[in-house]
Amino acid sequence: MSYLDNIRNFSIIAHIDHGKSTLADRLIEKTGLVEARDMKEQYLDNMDIERERGITIKLQTTRLQYKAKDGQEYILNLIDTPGHVDFNYEVSRSLAACDGAVLVVDATQGVEAQTLGNVYLALDEDLEILPVLNKMDLDSARPDDARAEIEDIIGLDASEAPEISAKTGMGIDEMLEKLIEVIPPPQGDPDGRLKALIFDSYYDSYKGVIIYTRIFDGRVKRGDTIRMMNTGKNYEVTEVGYCIPGTVPADELKAGEVGYICGSIKQVADARVGDTITLANAPADAPLKGYKKAQSMVYCGIFPAEGEKYENVKDALEKLQVNDAAFNFEPENSAALGYGYRCGFLGLLHMDVITERLAREFDLDVITTLPSVVYKVVMKDGEVLDIQNPSNLPPAALIAHIEEPIVKADIMTPNEYVGSIMTLCQNRRGNMIHMEYLTKTRVQLHYEMPLNEVIYDFFDALKSRTRGYASLDYEFLRYQPAKLVKLDILLNREPIDALSTIVPEEEAMAKGRGICEKLKEIIPRHQFEVPIQAAIGQKIIARETVRAYRKDVLAKCYGGDITRKKKLLEKQKAGKKRMRQFGSVTVPQEAFTEVLKLDDGR
Amino acid sequence: MTADSMDKKRGIYIHMPFCVQKCRYCAFLSFSAEGSPRKEYMDALEKEIKLRSALERERGTDKPADTIYIGGGTPSVMDIAAMSEMIKTLKRSFEIKPDAEFTLEANPATLGRKDGVMLAKLQAYKFMGVNRLSMGVQSMDNDRLHYLGRIHTAENVARDMEIIRRKGFSNVNLDLMFSVPGESTEDAMRDLERILALAPEHISCYSLQIEEGTPFGEMAESGELTEVPDEEDRETYHRICRRLRDAGYEHYEISNFAKKGDDPAATSPYRSRHNSLYWNMDEYIGLGLGASGFINGVRYKNTSDLEEYLAVLEEGRLPVAEEHRNTAFDNISEAVFTGLRRREGIRYEDAVRAYMDAVDAERPEILPGDDFRDVFWDIFAEAREEALGYAGRGLLIISDEGLKLTEQGIDISNSIMSLFV
Repeated sequence: MSYLDNIRNFSIIAHIDHGKSTLADRLIEKTGLVEARDMKEQYLDNMDIERERGITIKLQTTRLQYKAKDGQEYILNLIDTPGHVDFNYEVSRSLAACDGAVLVVDATQGVEAQTLGNVYLALDEDLEILPVLNKMDLDSARPDDARAEIEDIIGLDASEAPEISAKTGMGIDEMLEKLIEVIPPPQGDPDGRLKALIFDSYYDSYKGVIIYTRIFDGRVKRGDTIRMMNTGKNYEVTEVGYCIPGTVPADELKAGEVGYICGSIKQVADARVGDTITLANAPADAPLKGYKKAQSMVYCGIFPAEGEKYENVKDALEKLQVNDAAFNFEPENSAALGYGYRCGFLGLLHMDVITERLAREFDLDVITTLPSVVYKVVMKDGEVLDIQNPSNLPPAALIAHIEEPIVKADIMTPNEYVGSIMTLCQNRRGNMIHMEYLTKTRVQLHYEMPLNEVIYDFFDALKSRTRGYASLDYEFLRYQPAKLVKLDILLNREPIDALSTIVPEEEAMAKGRGICEKLKEIIPRHQFEVPIQAAIGQKIIARETVRAYRKDVLAKCYGGDITRKKKLLEKQKAGKKRMRQFGSVTVPQEAFTEVLKLDDGR
Repeated sequence: MTADSMDKKRGIYIHMPFCVQKCRYCAFLSFSAEGSPRKEYMDALEKEIKLRSALERERGTDKPADTIYIGGGTPSVMDIAAMSEMIKTLKRSFEIKPDAEFTLEANPATLGRKDGVMLAKLQAYKFMGVNRLSMGVQSMDNDRLHYLGRIHTAENVARDMEIIRRKGFSNVNLDLMFSVPGESTEDAMRDLERILALAPEHISCYSLQIEEGTPFGEMAESGELTEVPDEEDRETYHRICRRLRDAGYEHYEISNFAKKGDDPAATSPYRSRHNSLYWNMDEYIGLGLGASGFINGVRYKNTSDLEEYLAVLEEGRLPVAEEHRNTAFDNISEAVFTGLRRREGIRYEDAVRAYMDAVDAERPEILPGDDFRDVFWDIFAEAREEALGYAGRGLLIISDEGLKLTEQGIDISNSIMSLFV
């Protein structure tokens, strides 16, 4: 019997908030690796933002020891997966490191779009799947309905699915026994040539980049020179070990095992997720399949706010990039906002997370411009330009046509909301491919939609129209020609480049009007009239006016309370500092982000 | 005490936080008089007077008062007997100059229903030393008074004025409020005419401010009430200023007008001496709930919590909630923004003297012979460019002596003042 027989490498897959992290916590607690007093809620989600939003962005992996009823000691390697559509590629690489997956289904909610998306990713990696029904402690649990949905929608036999409560710990032992039975042990040749999959990495200020890896063949130890097969870079291994959690050094890692490798690597971009590690002096003949370079889908400008130093923003972005291979940035110069950076993200959530971390971890005051997707601009001379910054769009006369990214969007919903979702998608230029009844009451809608329509507030709109019941999964499909124009915004007749957007021609009028109205609310009154105009080229398509203010005076200081009056004046002065000056017009910084929240009721 | 503060005038402000009922726009500290601990309050206030006077004596910061001002709330709803006792205590505790201005705020229809009662009440106030009355008239239109939540009518005001005059009060202020929702400039001018017909020595005019946390604030939020547009509000204000100037009133502060005396070239004898203290960086003792004081370079504010106020004084301690020793910059900044409320504006010299008056280690030494104007603009170097911009637009007058707002500048006075904080 091989040591491999006592290893199980698995992931937990679940729809967002179906209890994945809580289950992981329970497993860690159950297998006794973390003292109860060290247990933070949701151990694996260790960024504040992750914990607050209940989502996982950076992965954690944990080696658990479990003594099964058969008397044997098992090593259970729990490999975490991110829980959001922005991070599909990362999910697929984590799954590739596993031999099986525990599918958590909320017994009160049933199967959702992301559940299905993740199951398909797992099936593509040839994983054995163990369905479990969670939240069985709740009165609203409907295990039989959930079981039926798993069988009808996913096609897995759920008759023996363990019924658990990650919250109370109910059914966890049964689940672990079942896991050992259902999920196969890893295979691999410890004496073959090294092939190890990077499924995550993060930067540690003492050890450099720490690579999380699953060894498929061969072995690796301290002092070995390793090579990244896709990037071709070599590093000397300074440490290997297991994640128990944390990093605990070991002599070596061998086929079938999961652990970490350090090698004085300076940034995570040099140890990309999906790359294959081999030995420089005895390389494997081919890398593992499935490596993809991270592709930014959404871009926006990040500029230092008034009083914030450009250097500070640069430092912070560099630090974030060290730990996030999917995030990239380059310098950008805006006439309106000065020097800043154009930043690329996997999706809107990724963008939110980065901007929030800038504020929270680095205490920076930044202005974020409207997010944009990457357009392919086909010029009359045949050249094709990738444009992600509306201000860089060439003059219309030189453009043959513009193509925009289209995504495949799968929406799963209770059938009563189908009507309102269809209206929503139609308003967002969605094209319904087909619709299927998964069960009597659950419907999946398949749409093709411009990514541009998805990145603003589609997800919020979807949730609000379905009282939170609908779920969304999307992935990039193709580029497709579209009638698009650049919409410029002028303040006091001066164009403000940071407010330019690329919009469908037919919607330009409505969008322009919407943005003008919104800006009218945000821009304070000046001592002169401030016209706000939306224009396509030279043509003004919408106009609003901020009336001149006539009054900014307070009544007398009652009872001599000078201090109160002073505080008011100080607040007024501080408010002015948070403004941007455009010629003679003062614009509050939030204008750039507020226009994003253009709820036009669509 | 520094040499400069020896020349400072001294006032005493006493707060009476009770009203018959709270007006719908009111965000000030007041309680409905009925069922409130008015007696306990007066007892506590007497304790505070004694404690404060003892403290000032101990510190050597006591000095004769030039003014007394009893504000509210509605001081005239307080029991005459208790009021009289309190004033006796005040006079025993603090030295009051014989020619001191002594103002009492009173609301129409609170001085007594019967003429006899009213005459007697006013007589009692006279005995106490009150020589100036300030009446919260607000409007002479009964519908508007009702809308504001005031308890009186225009007829009450007329009768009160008649009896006040009969009793020989010759220094009376009437408050007038404009820009009440639904009120046009013409409506306001009609109101003003009816106020003028009563020939007060002093008029305070201000536009209604809708404050959060008041019934009006909520009505504005829900859209039940539409504020008068700024343009109209300012039109009303400037017409009021013109009309009052024509009627022989001196516009001496943003919201305040005083009837000219026999010599129209001289400063009006009816300016509010007490309120002027606030605009001149003079000193004042604040007594009562939520009252503010400024003594010997320190600003303080009493607690605004009635229960705490009573309890703390019960324990024999002063009810001070906040205390702040002004820095040199605090002083000059306050001198500028309060001083700019006066139509004559500020003099660089006074502002810089206020600056030098502060005991502040951070303050750079100013040498004799330094030009006040240069020192002033050194301190406010950052504000200079914007100030010149305002001057260029005819909103601020920058002279060799100092600064003052133009009548147009008043409209945006906060923007200009905020340059100097």
